[in-house]
Amino acid sequence: MTRSETITGFRSSTAAASAVDVVKSYGSGSTAVRALDHVSVDLNRGEFTAIMGPSGSGKSTLMHCLAGLDTVTSGSVAIGDVELRGLSDKKMTALRRDRIGFVFQSFNLVPTLTALENITLPIAIAGRRPDREWLATVIDTLGLRDRLGHRPSELSGGQQQRVAVGRALASRPEIIFGDEPTGNLDSRSSGEVMGILRQSVDQLGQTVVIVTHDPRAASWADRVLFLTDGRIVDELRSPTADSVLDRMKRLETRS
Amino acid sequence: MSAMRTVALRNLRAHKVRLALTLISVLLGTAFVAGSFVFTDTLKHSFDNIFATSDKGVDARVQARHDYDPGVPTNLIATIGAVPGAAVVEPQINGPVVLVKADGTKVESNGAPSVGGLWATRSVNPIPSFVTGHAPRTDHQVVVNDGAATKHGMHTGDQVKVVVSNSSVVDATISGIYRSSVNTGGYIGALFTRGEAMRLFTDGRHVTAVDVAAAPGVSEQTLTDRIAKILPGGLQAKTGTQVRDAETADISSALSFVNYILLGFGIVALLVGTFIIYNTFAMIVAQRQRELALLRAIGAGRKQVRRSVVFESGVIGIVGSALGLAGGIGLAYGLHALLDSFDLGLPSGGMVLSTRTILITLILGTAVTLLAGLAPARRAARIAPVAAMREEFSSPSASGLRRRTAIGVVVAAASVAATVAGVISDKAGAAASFTGLGLVTACVAAMLLSPVLARWVIVPLGRIVGRPFGTVGQLARTNAIRNPRRTAATAFALTLGLILVAGIAVVGASIKGSLGNIIDNTVQADYIVTTNNQLYVPTPAVAAVRTVPGVATTTALHDLNVSINGKHDTGTAVDGPLAGSIALDMQHGAADITGHNLVISKKLADSRHWAVGDTLRMSAPGRGTVTEHVAGVYADNQLAGPYLTGGHVWRQLTPRNELTSFVVLVQAKPGTDLATLRSGLEKATNDYYVVTVQDREQFKGQTAAQVNGLIALLYGLLGLAIVIAILGIINTLALSVVERRREIGMLRAVGMQRKQVRRTIYLESLLISVFGAVLGLVLGLTFGSLFTRTLRNAGLNQLSVPWGQALLFLGLAAVVGVLAALWPGVRASRTPPLEAISAA
Repeated sequence: MTRSETITGFRSSTAAASAVDVVKSYGSGSTAVRALDHVSVDLNRGEFTAIMGPSGSGKSTLMHCLAGLDTVTSGSVAIGDVELRGLSDKKMTALRRDRIGFVFQSFNLVPTLTALENITLPIAIAGRRPDREWLATVIDTLGLRDRLGHRPSELSGGQQQRVAVGRALASRPEIIFGDEPTGNLDSRSSGEVMGILRQSVDQLGQTVVIVTHDPRAASWADRVLFLTDGRIVDELRSPTADSVLDRMKRLETRS
Repeated sequence: MSAMRTVALRNLRAHKVRLALTLISVLLGTAFVAGSFVFTDTLKHSFDNIFATSDKGVDARVQARHDYDPGVPTNLIATIGAVPGAAVVEPQINGPVVLVKADGTKVESNGAPSVGGLWATRSVNPIPSFVTGHAPRTDHQVVVNDGAATKHGMHTGDQVKVVVSNSSVVDATISGIYRSSVNTGGYIGALFTRGEAMRLFTDGRHVTAVDVAAAPGVSEQTLTDRIAKILPGGLQAKTGTQVRDAETADISSALSFVNYILLGFGIVALLVGTFIIYNTFAMIVAQRQRELALLRAIGAGRKQVRRSVVFESGVIGIVGSALGLAGGIGLAYGLHALLDSFDLGLPSGGMVLSTRTILITLILGTAVTLLAGLAPARRAARIAPVAAMREEFSSPSASGLRRRTAIGVVVAAASVAATVAGVISDKAGAAASFTGLGLVTACVAAMLLSPVLARWVIVPLGRIVGRPFGTVGQLARTNAIRNPRRTAATAFALTLGLILVAGIAVVGASIKGSLGNIIDNTVQADYIVTTNNQLYVPTPAVAAVRTVPGVATTTALHDLNVSINGKHDTGTAVDGPLAGSIALDMQHGAADITGHNLVISKKLADSRHWAVGDTLRMSAPGRGTVTEHVAGVYADNQLAGPYLTGGHVWRQLTPRNELTSFVVLVQAKPGTDLATLRSGLEKATNDYYVVTVQDREQFKGQTAAQVNGLIALLYGLLGLAIVIAILGIINTLALSVVERRREIGMLRAVGMQRKQVRRTIYLESLLISVFGAVLGLVLGLTFGSLFTRTLRNAGLNQLSVPWGQALLFLGLAAVVGVLAALWPGVRASRTPPLEAISAA
């Protein structure tokens, strides 16, 4: 029994996303690099998880594979009860559109659309109408009601990232993935964005998974997973910035 | 090699597709420029060769001063031969013929001369040898050149019919096939004995010209001077050199038309290409912003950065024009082959590539590319080193457009002023000049204003077209106007093309409409008997038409070449009634040409100050004088020409070989079945082979067919403009897709299907190209109409705007837009969603 299995247990019905024995290699033969080395993990519904690890630890790769942005070499990945391996591009895209929300490091808003249009973009792409009540709730949570008609270039970085969070929330996805969502923000804006994500978990019952290297951002999570060399090596519940930093230091000295 | 230059070259190599598209746009423009020069040089060289050979032995030529005069009297030939120093005298006799093979098929060339003439037994040139057979010995023998014989399957011993305008149809046997020195494609030569040639092609008293070869030791100038002394007035002697030079000059001016057309294509292609080149470099610079900033940050000077971009465009310019030069030779070769397959009478010969062609092509191509790359290069030099540290591209703002728009408004105002001046101007020349100025300034204004116009057109259009596509439509619309400069430059390729095409379409349609109008307003006959080639209606055919049952009257019109009161004027002589055939709008007097009456046009009356009641003396050299009275003045009429008079004047004053009719108008007896009459007319004229019977609609159609060359040119231009526009759109979209990789990756990540990504690009492209087409059509149709208006006094009295065609062009532009987007669209849809996340 590998160490990771003892930590995370087996796939449960409460998991919003799960990985079982996932291997991700780049290249082949002697030059092959193993980014994920037999990783198994369940990401629980209604929980805020942060994935941490030093550069090159495979934390981003894990998230990409879980979110259907990248394919795995072996093992299996599921969103809810849908197995991702073998899905066609079309089905995978629809799955991302309907069941996953994304928040990127560099905001990635469409510059020609207004804040509101950016928020409702995935719903509009699907050809559906937004749920008005839910949208109002989301917008209130974001605190952007007076900024909805503005274009991204007229918004601050923090505001842009809040719009991006709004876009992720708007379609009520089963799970939201954030790739260094505070990476481009100052500490005040970081706090705002993490606060909104926290709120979405506590008040709206969202499931959120972020990849970050910022212990302060990770401290907003319920659970922190630590990766090193493509393996999950540690886990922390109810973290604080200090306890996260402490674990990180321990990991680095050990490796 | 400097480091900056290495960077520039590596850059070119790293972006092969971009490089290829830019090269092709330079290539297309220069290929047409080079092709036009190579083609005309080649033709000119070949023609020069032909004249040098065919008129090699001519030291002096005697001919009439005016080509409407009858020629050289036969009794003068011996006198010329007696001039000291004249070794050989060869009379030139020729005229148009149509050969008909024994099975009744006509031996026709599409444009090459089909000429009958004299087989010279003594010639200033070497006598041609025979492939088979021998020279004509009797009046019913003819020899045919080898080219025509091979092409049309004629052999020695074959029976042929020879159709000649004045003496109708002659039976002859081919006695031999001779080797012609004239190698133009499709040329047909049929040569007869002197007696027969005189009978068929002359009035019996004159020959076309007399060529003289000098005896050894006598210069052509001396010989010519001696001959000139004995010539009566009306005749002139030219040296052989003058003859050959004049022929060469004739060909040069005929070819210059071809040259201008091809050069026009080249300039349009280059002009349109300039926008593509500019766009490419502007986008390359935008995409390389970080890299250039990095170069600046590590110490490259502004000048170095600018030079590196200029160097890149220089390399593309030189390579593109060199390829264009090669392409031009190919183009000229292809064009020659194409035209040759139509028997247009082109000589064959090797391609001529002159130094001038090489220099012009290379310099022009490189200069245009450098010019187009200049503005982007300057922009590149302005990039601050700190841009290297920035995460994202600064999104281009519209603020820089203010100055451009202001200048555009000023130019547009100037254009309107010039155009209005053109509209209110009475003189056709001034009106055309003002309108032309208006067009050029309008093009410049459109170019300057098109970034602003793009928003005005694309936003509402995008709302309509994009509606069924929802968000995809919205994204396409906003993307299309995201960088208005780029959209404008991309669309302008189509705009320029469509300005030309729509303008020509209006003029072409108006010419067709006006011709139809003229025929409707002037020709009242039930049937119109004409020929559709170089020959006129043979005189016996006119008589045959008259006897067909059901014919009430026939009105034959003849060219009348006479001097009136001492000044030459070609008019029309009429046999038959005017009423019911030609509608004349009489301004003064009566439409009476019976007896010694004639009617004249308003224009002639005004220019020579003649009025009703004046007496005019009509004369032709050696044929005496006829006195006529002006009975009436009619409004200018294309069919009637400057004046109309009775057939007796024509019969008295016209040489026998020119007694032909250019058209015979037939009126049916009341109650006659027109279809029966028609078959009767066709049967009666069947023996004359070249005669056609048409009703008024068919006649209109035949006349309109003359405009078809213009229409063909139009489609050529359209094709070229479209090819270049497609390249431009592909280029812009491909680069846009690269630029928006992150954004597209994000859209894919948040759930946009590949199909939707593709559709977004297709729609964006469609909007851009429809915008370009709309702008071009508006300008083209407007200025086409205005130019037509300036020609209203030159007979273009009906303005026809081809709306159907315009709609077709618009639809075509939309299709082109989507086609051009296919490849960039597929590329965009393959963008992996991870692009959204990976660092810029």
